[in-house]
Amino acid sequence: MIWNLPTSAIVLPVVLPLLAAFLMQPLGRVSGAVARVLGPLSLLASAWVLIDCWLTYGDAPFTVAIGGYAPPLGIVFYVDRLALLFATAVPLLTLLFWTRGEDHPDPDRRDAVMSLMAAAATGLALSGDLFNVYVFYELTAVASFGLVTLNGTGRAYIATVRYLLLSAMGSVLALVGIAIVYHQTGTLNLAQIAQLAPETLQGPTGLAAFALLLIGFGVKGELFPVNSWVPEVYSTAPARVSALLAGLISKLAVLVLVRLLVLAYQGTAAADLMLLLGLISVITAELAAWRARDFPRMLAYSSIGQLGMVFIAFSLPGEAGVLAGLALALHHLVVKSALFGLATRWNGTLEALTGVARSAPIAAGLFVLFALSLIGVPPLPGFWAKLLVVIGLADGGSALQMTALAAILIGAAVEASYLFRLAVQMYQETGGAATGQETTGGATQPTAQPPKPMRIDVGIAALAGALLLAITVAIDPAAGALRDIARQAADVAGYIETVFPETVARSD
Amino acid sequence: MQSTFDIILAIGAFGLVAIGLLGLVISSNLFRMVLALVMAEAGANLLLVLVGYRTDAVAPILGVQAAGTPMVDPIPQVLVLTAIVIGVGVQALAVAAVVRIYQAYGTLDVRVLRERFGLDVTRAAGLPPTRSLEAPVGGRPLPPPIPGLEDGADMAGQGRG
Repeated sequence: MIWNLPTSAIVLPVVLPLLAAFLMQPLGRVSGAVARVLGPLSLLASAWVLIDCWLTYGDAPFTVAIGGYAPPLGIVFYVDRLALLFATAVPLLTLLFWTRGEDHPDPDRRDAVMSLMAAAATGLALSGDLFNVYVFYELTAVASFGLVTLNGTGRAYIATVRYLLLSAMGSVLALVGIAIVYHQTGTLNLAQIAQLAPETLQGPTGLAAFALLLIGFGVKGELFPVNSWVPEVYSTAPARVSALLAGLISKLAVLVLVRLLVLAYQGTAAADLMLLLGLISVITAELAAWRARDFPRMLAYSSIGQLGMVFIAFSLPGEAGVLAGLALALHHLVVKSALFGLATRWNGTLEALTGVARSAPIAAGLFVLFALSLIGVPPLPGFWAKLLVVIGLADGGSALQMTALAAILIGAAVEASYLFRLAVQMYQETGGAATGQETTGGATQPTAQPPKPMRIDVGIAALAGALLLAITVAIDPAAGALRDIARQAADVAGYIETVFPETVARSD
Repeated sequence: MQSTFDIILAIGAFGLVAIGLLGLVISSNLFRMVLALVMAEAGANLLLVLVGYRTDAVAPILGVQAAGTPMVDPIPQVLVLTAIVIGVGVQALAVAAVVRIYQAYGTLDVRVLRERFGLDVTRAAGLPPTRSLEAPVGGRPLPPPIPGLEDGADMAGQGRG
């Protein structure tokens, strides 16, 4: 059902959840039931608007000037397929992982923060103005701080404060980077930055600005020097929140950096810096994941490793890089959020998951499927995504790129080692409660019943698994669609022309 | 083109950021870390204002001055307003969370907190203690847990650890 909404409807997915977030608490005083449905309703409406825009205007990118002020002074939303894709993922994933079924003294407040994060994350995907991106990034960060403390435990607060300090430090660095960009170019509109970048930004000062922005936004993207918050937060936050942070929010931060890299720093040392940091992320994280002894932290480290690989992929030049990074990012988005969903109940040690396949066969089977795809076993989508990166790196052939290639292959081997170790453990026979007592230490370890994931989480994981299998079957059309998205996103001249139709016509 | 005054201001701005970052790294008190963050943010904001600053220029109010008078760039000033508001919000949130941590653990010493955080997380995950200090030799039973150390729900004010 296409309603032919005007293009300006694209602001609704940001406005509606934001409005819902602020209305929720006053409404909750009047009627709890209304407040309860307000968040999901606004997200459903957002998803519908985005899908409608996708169907109506999906082919050509377009811009919407906020408040009618024309760019470069006004703020624009830049809507191409890449932005639409990630923007659509925001309300859908937030709906799937809507915090339900958990006790919380003030559910309205919890839902409000959740809506706030959805609104800010959508804005992050759509915005075409550097400072506006910063504002949405900060909003997302503040909302995520609120979500991480949902448990209300002391350790959750410690994790939050350390996360907050690191994130705020990153924001300061990003702000300094933005100041330098503005100093060099005199604008914050991404299209105008792209126009001016060759003369103004590709010198040492401009590269310093990119490094600052990379570290700053890299906090959410789980990039190497600034990712110490990841295991702490994911092991203390509710698993559904971890699913959103690892699956969705991290990708949006990466998306911002990719836009910058493609538009302003194409073919400069900036890509090498991104490659180097991604490379260190992969190596350190995969080794840490191999050593992890509990399920949430294993997922957390593996998520850092996967995102490092996404950074490596996006550092490849041109359309090939965008395509490889996009494929990896989407694959990780689906798989890792489903895995964190399973971790809602599987939140203990890896030993506690011994023999879990007997009590929860579907969940264990899905875990094996996800593990295979994460490692990159041939027919599954994870393999094709990794293959794109490997081919791209081999084509590039610089020393750093070959090191990254080796790191990815070794990382895959390490990944296979710890994921298969867990998978084998899941399918082991347990002798019932007796074996649980036998474990070393003599300390109380009541592992009587292997934990069973909640039905809703298994449902979400099954959905993700079905999606993976569907893409495995229809790999050709999926790759074609991704290639179209990547081509559009890598087209710098097209980006500028969409934002400033007259300027380009005049200069030609 | 750039006057000494501009350079001094720029050094001041970068210096504030550097002091703040250094404070974040070397402080061992959580509240001092928040204060260091405040300082770094002030530096970044100052830098942003400086980008639009011009010596001998007036405030950018249209119609008050004669046309052609040099004016400072208003855009960075608008950005700084936004950045200040965001910064205040984040800092308030940080202080609120720091208060909760003090209520839960009775200390703001980062080293102590890191220790207890590690203990808490491994215990919540059901892992055995990792170090001999926490795991008695020979599989002897652990001493009874210190009350209030588990999730630290209501352990207000036990003094500095």
